[in-house]
Amino acid sequence: MTNAVEIDHLSKDYGKLRALDNIILSVPQGAIYGLVGPNGAGKTTLIKTLVGTLKPTTGSVKVLGLDPLQDKWKLRKHIGYMPQTAALYDDLSAKKNILFFGAAQNVPDLEKKADDILAFAELTDRGNDLVRTFSGGMKKRVSLCCALIHQPKIVFLDEPTAAIDPHLKIESWNLFRKLAKSGVTLFISTHLMDEALLCDKVTILGNGKIIAVDTPQKLLERGKTKLKYSENGEVKESILDSTPESLANELQKLGLNQNITSISLQPDNIENIVLGIIGEKQNSESTG
Amino acid sequence: MNTFIIARRILNQLQGDKKYLALSIIAPLIIIYFLKLLFNAFPPNVPITNFTIPIGALIVHFLSFLLCAILLVQERTRGTLERMLISGYRRTSIIGGYTLGYLGLATIQAAAVLFESLWLFNLDYSGQTIFLLFIVIWLLAVVSVMLGIFISTFAQNEGHVFPFIPLIILPSVFLTGLIIDTNTLPGWAAFIGKCLPLHYAVNIIHEIIKPTYSLSSTYLDFTILIGYIFLLWILASLTLKETE
Repeated sequence: MTNAVEIDHLSKDYGKLRALDNIILSVPQGAIYGLVGPNGAGKTTLIKTLVGTLKPTTGSVKVLGLDPLQDKWKLRKHIGYMPQTAALYDDLSAKKNILFFGAAQNVPDLEKKADDILAFAELTDRGNDLVRTFSGGMKKRVSLCCALIHQPKIVFLDEPTAAIDPHLKIESWNLFRKLAKSGVTLFISTHLMDEALLCDKVTILGNGKIIAVDTPQKLLERGKTKLKYSENGEVKESILDSTPESLANELQKLGLNQNITSISLQPDNIENIVLGIIGEKQNSESTG
Repeated sequence: MNTFIIARRILNQLQGDKKYLALSIIAPLIIIYFLKLLFNAFPPNVPITNFTIPIGALIVHFLSFLLCAILLVQERTRGTLERMLISGYRRTSIIGGYTLGYLGLATIQAAAVLFESLWLFNLDYSGQTIFLLFIVIWLLAVVSVMLGIFISTFAQNEGHVFPFIPLIILPSVFLTGLIIDTNTLPGWAAFIGKCLPLHYAVNIIHEIIKPTYSLSSTYLDFTILIGYIFLLWILASLTLKETE
């Protein structure tokens, strides 16, 4: 099975600024793939290159085995794109927005599919209301519906949960999981590091470069865990690697010592781990 | 097919934004009324009938250009233009859809301006003359919509449209024969005037309102005005970027 996305030595320059630097990446089909990094890391530039609105300066990109520039009309039938801004018509209803973007691909039974997708996004009751009356989170869901109406094989979501409340964020991720279960590949960019944990695999991007590619579990293991315990009334601390083996070793050392009356483990949060990885990489580049 | 879908969407949008719709029709009517107040103050020997319809045409030209350019730039800034392209709409469909969609509005503007001018200034023209005047203003409105689409391809935000007003609209006021005969201008200034579409609309209007008018005297000007529509269509299709 070919990968959903293949990126080979991709660089993109805006004048003298190098926005993407020698990106090599592959995304398996059916995965929820996270692109994580701070603002300005190059996430949107990478997504726009993948959907064919930006031309690579060097290197090549394939999405579903097709070139986003050469085969754009063939590819656009199979890709969905949810930009960072809602990118909707405020003076049209949610359903009319969905119908408009769906009509571009001559989707059969468009009316019915629009109703189905509104139900999927739990927006049936508001389908005929003007988008301008919607909250930011609801606009994001309408935007997702517009990206999905033609039943794409891969969907690119640029910061889909930025600036929405935690409850809606959970609902959005439930929608993403439903989609992934149905076989759709999701390529999600986010600057919210905790969302990396919800992906199957993650690429960390910093200053246009790939800093790390890993599963969320392996990323967590790159952090440190603070072990705190009380022995004979004295509080002791040690910093361990977060790998299961390292934790097991340390706990074995402590054994079942009856003098130890409490133990707590405080693993690094993902935000610190990701920022630490980016910082380490940038330090090594500036010194090397 | 997609052209009609985009045109229908634009009409739906205009319906949904009644304030914008009302303003774009009422604003030219108010300006024509101000023109009437201005002309009332002129000495009686000034031939104001030579200026009335051409100035009405200028107002339609300016508003159609500006509204279309700004709304298409808004598509870019809001990300809907990019989304349209990624969804599968082609740029020729987008330009065609915009032209068709805004033609509805431009037609209403042209008719409203013409009939208000005829009424306010007591212009007693024959039915054929009124029909031809409407056709000229309507054609100019189409050119203006195309010009708006073309100019919008150079603008990254709404503010970028405004520098084009002194570049295109103001020279149209001074150099196209609207106020003074272009033959009295220096050669280079007359040349600039002849590059602007309003020049040909003004020429046709001046001919049409003559009692001795014959269609053959305006064939060339009509052809050039229609030529502008195709030229701007091609230019807009070439400059509307799908990729950067």
